Amino acid sequence: MTIPAITVDANTLIFGLLAVVSLGIFFNLGKFKASKSQTEREDRIDWSVRKYSFSTYFRGCLISGLGIFLIFSLLGYLGFN
Amino acid sequence: MSKHSALDTFGRSGNPAFRDHFEGTASNEDTRLSGVMTLEGAVNKTGILLALCFSSAAVTWALCFSSAAVTWNIPNTGLMIGGAIVGLILGLVTIFNPRQAAKLAPLYALAQGLFLGGITVIFESQYPGIAVQAIGLTFGTLASLLICYKTGLIKPTENFKLMLVSATSGIFLLYMVNIVMMTFGGGEGIGFIHSNGIMGIGFSLVVVAIAALNLVLDFDFIEQGAEQGIPKYMEWYGAFSLMVTLIWLYLEILRLLAKIRSN
Repeated sequence: MTIPAITVDANTLIFGLLAVVSLGIFFNLGKFKASKSQTEREDRIDWSVRKYSFSTYFRGCLISGLGIFLIFSLLGYLGFN
Repeated sequence: MSKHSALDTFGRSGNPAFRDHFEGTASNEDTRLSGVMTLEGAVNKTGILLALCFSSAAVTWALCFSSAAVTWNIPNTGLMIGGAIVGLILGLVTIFNPRQAAKLAPLYALAQGLFLGGITVIFESQYPGIAVQAIGLTFGTLASLLICYKTGLIKPTENFKLMLVSATSGIFLLYMVNIVMMTFGGGEGIGFIHSNGIMGIGFSLVVVAIAALNLVLDFDFIEQGAEQGIPKYMEWYGAFSLMVTLIWLYLEILRLLAKIRSN
């Protein structure tokens, strides 16, 4: 019985290792509470209330979409392709 | 009148997924019946969803890969597109029914896995090795941002949330316009979205950055949910929102790497 040789190239090794280590960090660190500098501050997001109205988010959406479109179109027009 | 002045001033959150669970009597009843959300529970459930997503992706992958000749077959389009559509529907239903997240989120992960397996095969057949690079970078980003969040290096605020939600929906709007242009305009859609030049790569980098920062909002939602003791089923909802962001991030990293390697 011959055992087939398992070949792993550098790409798979490096990025595979990165994925495994990162998942390890996520599953370990994720279970601990965040630091006090994160949890004990005044300007945290309050998920129970809506600070900005729907129209503010809608305006933000239009401005962002149009802004990204205009910036990239302008840069493309100037020759950055 | 609410006992919280902020509720009187600004009203409850417009997001139906959040407003009933951080405050109110419904959550108290749910909490009494099912227990409270914990960080460990949310992380474990994210692990379950990731495992389910990988399992179904492996099915599509295995159907396409012919190991004898080391060649790729064309992915089963029905399986792939079906997975994407079912995943989209399940995702939308879950967003508006967080109480059902325990049932719907695993199905969502399975359906999206079918789609991701197929799309990964398409990219991998053109650019060998791209799949492992995208997976590594996606999880690398997840871990880096988790460290930044837990240590307080990145502090999400209401303005941060406004900017990020605006940018995310702005990109969604651009993608929709692009699809409409491609379908009805008979053209190539918005040029820089598909271009593999500096503009195309720059746009993909912006989208990857915005997708990655969405992870910080997910971490904050889970952290505060655990702190405030919202109902246990919200662990599934937290894990689901993390999965949605991770899948988007993975797809954008895949596109970015493909653009870079096609030059």
